[in-house]
Amino acid sequence: MQVDYTVYSRSVLATAVFSALFLLAPVLFIVVFAFHTGAYFSIPPEGFSLKWFISFFENDRFRHAMWVSFGIGAIVTPLTLAISVPTAYALVRGDFRGRELINLLIMSPLIIPGVVTGIAFLIFMSALGIGPGFVALVLALTCFTLPFSVRALVANMHGLRPELEEAARNLGASEMSVFRHVVLPQLRPGLLAGGTFVFVEAIDNFSITVFLSTMNTTPLSVESYGYIRDFDDPTVAAMAAVLIALSTGLVLLVGRIVGLDRMFRVE
Amino acid sequence: MQGSDAIRRRNAWWGLAPAFAVLAMFFSAYAIFLHTSLQPGTSGGAAAGGWTLDNYARYFASANERSVLWRTMRISAELTLASVLIGYPMAYVIVRCASSGLRKFLMISLVVTFLSGTVTRAYAWLIILGNSGLVNTVLRKSGLIDAPLRLVYNEIGVFIALLHFVLPFFVLTMMAPLKNIPRALEDAAVNLGASRWRTFFLVTLPLSVPGIVAASSLTFAVALSSFLFPMVLGGGRVRMAANAIYEHIFQAFDLPFAAASATVFLVIALFFVWVFGMLQHVLRLGPSDRLR
Repeated sequence: MQVDYTVYSRSVLATAVFSALFLLAPVLFIVVFAFHTGAYFSIPPEGFSLKWFISFFENDRFRHAMWVSFGIGAIVTPLTLAISVPTAYALVRGDFRGRELINLLIMSPLIIPGVVTGIAFLIFMSALGIGPGFVALVLALTCFTLPFSVRALVANMHGLRPELEEAARNLGASEMSVFRHVVLPQLRPGLLAGGTFVFVEAIDNFSITVFLSTMNTTPLSVESYGYIRDFDDPTVAAMAAVLIALSTGLVLLVGRIVGLDRMFRVE
Repeated sequence: MQGSDAIRRRNAWWGLAPAFAVLAMFFSAYAIFLHTSLQPGTSGGAAAGGWTLDNYARYFASANERSVLWRTMRISAELTLASVLIGYPMAYVIVRCASSGLRKFLMISLVVTFLSGTVTRAYAWLIILGNSGLVNTVLRKSGLIDAPLRLVYNEIGVFIALLHFVLPFFVLTMMAPLKNIPRALEDAAVNLGASRWRTFFLVTLPLSVPGIVAASSLTFAVALSSFLFPMVLGGGRVRMAANAIYEHIFQAFDLPFAAASATVFLVIALFFVWVFGMLQHVLRLGPSDRLR
């Protein structure tokens, strides 16, 4: 066997690199466009400045939307993780009938079109007397993001050795303390990866959020959609650059601890 | 040992309690939603009981609704096919490449795309493909075209932006099944004199078919539910199922009809998930098991 032999040909490699460039192009473009002085795209560029970043941060509606979005993320993320940990533990270690079915039900928000979930929650929340708004957004997004974190934690728990828990039990530890002192400390990668997915999805979601927003509770995704519909300048590009920097920083940080390959392992 | 098992089973149910609360909320929402779709389609809202299948009858009688549904399925199928064609090689190179730099570059392109936000990406494509956007400006300055190519507010723009959206889902799902194919099998075929293409078609491809079905299933489901991209890049001219439902609510204010069309749409989406699931099941059994 030759040492320098690769199983794929040049054309396969070229396709892969082309796909990656296709993926990166709009992201790189929008970040560069955020610094463009003119309101419209032009070649050669009219110069570069920070004026659209200032426009973004000085816009009251965007500032408010940022608080709404981060508020939602700050509540939904720990809430979803708190629900996911016992769920994933039961799914991996529990031995009972109907486990497959329960797993399927928990994963169902992933395959149900977001718009359908959005309307269902709009009708449900109105029927309960809560109506659209912050509480409705938190509840709907918690349901919707649960599969992301359960998935990450189940993958994490499959890698743990049950012998460690067995040993603790044999030494007289209660189920509760086995969980707290043996299982939980080993779940850090799953919590970090799952938490990142949940946070990013809670902030980015549009199809459910648009049905549950009100005039006073408009998250960034819906606010920025309204802006690009009504105005034509790179303010949203500046917002995008800020959010991309934040989320990429977050993922690289988590990826350093967990490893990117492990974080994005999709089963 | 029996006792310990019983304890574990009971604890398992306790552990699932919070998830059951979430599921109860989720499915109550769908139950009330289904109920709404059976109400008479008045926008007054105070419908006093009364069950009717009117909304469903109206939905299936409308040629417009049927064409939206058909277009949604056709675009989703095209997107899935395109994802297989350019996503498979990408997943394959990530799994098999010897250079960690190349692998890191490909992974980062996937991750950054995932993180860059949907509204952002729709907006970026709008400016890149617009009449005085990046593509048209470059082509015009280089003298290749005189009039701008029409790339937005039609299916081309929607397709490009959606392909960009669904591709990472395909590639990330395709990586694990490809990783599970032992490299030794491919090396053996090559050592025995098979060409790369022969190796691919006789060894790699057959072994990865269940993975392709799984990844296509997710890609197709994600494509079916597209909402924002057709809304921004289609400019009202390329309506997919989710957009039609949105208009029934926010333009016609006809909640019962919107609920009925969403129910039909949901049933179709679940039907395809089921078909892909069955296909995966049959393929996983393998030829010898199927004969049994």
